[in-house]
Amino acid sequence: MLVEAGAWLDHRLGVGASIREAARHPVPRSSASWWYVFGSCTFAVMVLQFITGMCLATVYAPTADRAWQSLLYLNYNQPLGWFIRALHGWGSNFMIALVCIHLAQVFLFGAYKYPRELTWTAGVVLLLCTLGMAFTGQVLRFDQDAYWGLGIAAAIAGRTPLIGGRVVKIILGGPIIAGDTLSRFFTLHVFVIPAVLIAFVVLHLFLVLKLGINEWPMPGRIVRRETYLAEYHKMVTEDGEPFFPYAAQKDLVAIGLVIAALVVTAAIMGPIGPNGEPDPAIIQTVPRPDFFFLWLFSAFALLPPWTETFLMLTGPVVAIALLFAIPFISGTGEKSFRRRPMSVVLLVMTFMTIGILIYLGTYSPWSPHMEAWSGTPTPVDYVRGRTPLELQGAILIQAKQCRNCHSLGGRGGMRGPALDDTATRLTPNQIVRQILEGGGNMPAYGKNLSPAEVNALVAFLETMHPGDEPPARSSINPAVAPSY
Amino acid sequence: MAWRVGIAAVLVVSLVAGCDSLPGRPRESDRPISPSQVKSFARLYDENCAGCHGAHGRFGAAYELADATYQALVDDATLKRIISNGIAGTAMPAFAQTAGGYLTTAQIAILVDGMRQRWKTGRPLVDAPPYAGPDGDPGRGARTFAQSCAPCHGPKGEGGEKAPGSITDPSYLALVSDQSLRTLIIAGRSDLGHPDWRGYPPGQPLSAEQVADVVAWLAARRQHFQGAVYARNR
Ligand code: HEC
Ligand code: HEC
Ligand code: HEC
Repeated sequence: MLVEAGAWLDHRLGVGASIREAARHPVPRSSASWWYVFGSCTFAVMVLQFITGMCLATVYAPTADRAWQSLLYLNYNQPLGWFIRALHGWGSNFMIALVCIHLAQVFLFGAYKYPRELTWTAGVVLLLCTLGMAFTGQVLRFDQDAYWGLGIAAAIAGRTPLIGGRVVKIILGGPIIAGDTLSRFFTLHVFVIPAVLIAFVVLHLFLVLKLGINEWPMPGRIVRRETYLAEYHKMVTEDGEPFFPYAAQKDLVAIGLVIAALVVTAAIMGPIGPNGEPDPAIIQTVPRPDFFFLWLFSAFALLPPWTETFLMLTGPVVAIALLFAIPFISGTGEKSFRRRPMSVVLLVMTFMTIGILIYLGTYSPWSPHMEAWSGTPTPVDYVRGRTPLELQGAILIQAKQCRNCHSLGGRGGMRGPALDDTATRLTPNQIVRQILEGGGNMPAYGKNLSPAEVNALVAFLETMHPGDEPPARSSINPAVAPSY
Repeated sequence: MAWRVGIAAVLVVSLVAGCDSLPGRPRESDRPISPSQVKSFARLYDENCAGCHGAHGRFGAAYELADATYQALVDDATLKRIISNGIAGTAMPAFAQTAGGYLTTAQIAILVDGMRQRWKTGRPLVDAPPYAGPDGDPGRGARTFAQSCAPCHGPKGEGGEKAPGSITDPSYLALVSDQSLRTLIIAGRSDLGHPDWRGYPPGQPLSAEQVADVVAWLAARRQHFQGAVYARNR
């Protein structure tokens, strides 16, 4: 029955032969390796994302007043709605991770070299699309974190000279994040980027089939434009195996494992967000972008302020341009990573940098802590034995929200130095000047504090030196010689 | 091959059977609520008050709200008014939405009730000076101060061994309200060891008039700042 129907279809369409041909196309024996499975895995997760995404789209309402509510409905009311959300959310993280591993593998194995430059270029487009999907998806969550992620993007775009304001308007659909913003991102996430994604996946796969899977790189086997194609042809005819089932087996097993891991992760970790309602009037929040943008966020937090604008605008452009350019910079020559030490170092450094930045962004509170001022009490040790004026200073540290940026007893923001031992570094006069004039990313409080308030703050801060360390003193007051 | 099928089967079965008890399933208690819907006293207090008044109302830089004597002294309406409108001229902020804060009337009621339940533990006060009263006379206050306060705070309030730091420092006095001085003198601060009205010294409770007089004497030390005068500028 089935076979007959298949034959009927094939007779009309006539594609069976080419599919069979594609499945059977010979691949170098060496390429049937566990290292070569990441592309297929990414593809599989992408298909899963499409499926779960379609399920979610049936419930999701892309309007500002109902988006957040519809996610809550999925989480708490729709049977298994939470699980689909979890699969989709973690699927996105998995996909990014797999794309990065795939990219690293292709880079290490020199698979981007002649004649596969275009395959690499299409791959970079796919990487950007994946990140674009992750970003727009995060916005669709439309909670406070979404606001934040978007806020950063808008702030970056807004710094573009001359056209900054207009770019922000195009991204957000207006000067601020609102309902129009959401419909724009919904369109991007559901129509525009997926269309590009599918087109480039087709191109990418077509190229993989046409040019053949990269052989396992051997040190000393040099890629030359004149000879490579003939060599490759010889390799697959003499020492090749059909793609299916020879190489595909490993792909299928790996896909199964990845999907199982994804299902387990989703079941254990649950859906991502949504957290608080995106109400701009609510400022009691500590928003954080998702991890794949967290590293950008911490990079910008760490940069010296005067380089920020320049690097924010040129950095990503240069990085992406470099990625595209790689096969054109080193399109021939050695493929083996054993003979390309610089490439290995470059790759390891890049991943390490991003990893460290993500770590820093996760574990140190860069962002001003909106709730720190009210939530976190002054450490009791700083209350006991303090004079009335000093206690007033401690109250003002809370009231003036200095702890958004400064920590006491390890709690509070990290934009500025911890204040626990400030008196060992600054003399009272320097403290007064720091508070009144600010500087180095600290706002000047001169106009917002009364003299009595400044005196109280300084009195309190002057006590901020550990018992065994003397306070700082001005160099014009000589130290009093200890009397024996 | 068989073991793979086995694993997959176990996964699918456990997923279907246990999908309601999976660890990732969001619980009703995880449901995000907007700040205006928070109804738990502990959370409201920790997020809004603990920063200044201390965890559990004690050992904060600002007044000890968990002091049983204080809770017996003050009434609900006063607490509600202070939390809603703050105390002008001091760091105590206004919390009511009507006064520019973030708390609803219901939340302020929860705060007041919660403080009463937790901290108003003692019996009613006997013969205590009332929470508020008419202004006193600084001249008489000087005498009461010398007698009742000077042993700890020094003759001019400049501080002594038992109570370091000046309570007549113009910057200090500029930052606190008269009521806060009155509250402290009547109810004391058990966490930092400040006596209440019965303890200056024990056995000679201050009368309402004496309390008002001392407050008036302290208030008279308050100077008005003109321009930027930094007392400690060196
Ligand atoms: C927006 C964040 C921010 C806020 C809010 C802020 N500061 Fe700062 N503060 C900083 C930064 C950043 C520095 C480091 C300045 C530098 O490197 O010169 C700093 C430095 C200081 C220093 C010197 C610290 C040292 O040990 O060198 C003091 C003292 C200080 N701030 C006090 C305050 C007080 C008091 C307040 C509240 C009235 C306050 N800050 C509010 C960001 C902030
Ligand atoms: C930014 C610091 C700060 C925060 C936050 C704060 N307070 Fe206060 N509070 C003060 C100060 C300072 C005073 C004393 C003001 C004065 O009268 O001089 C005070 C006074 C009070 C008083 C009056 C005490 C008296 O004399 O009768 C009450 C009651 C009070 N606070 C309750 C609260 C409650 C409840 C919260 C949380 C909703 C809160 N406060 C949050 C600083 C704060
Ligand atoms: C047994 C000693 C003692 C006596 C008597 C005493 N005090 Fe105090 N006082 C303290 C101590 C200790 C502190 C510091 C702890 C604190 O702030 O509560 C203090 C602090 C104060 C403060 C500052 C509170 C703040 O805002 O931090 C004032 C004002 C004050 N006392 C007023 C008085 C007055 C007025 C009297 C007399 C009616 C008096 N005290 C009697 C021990 C005493």
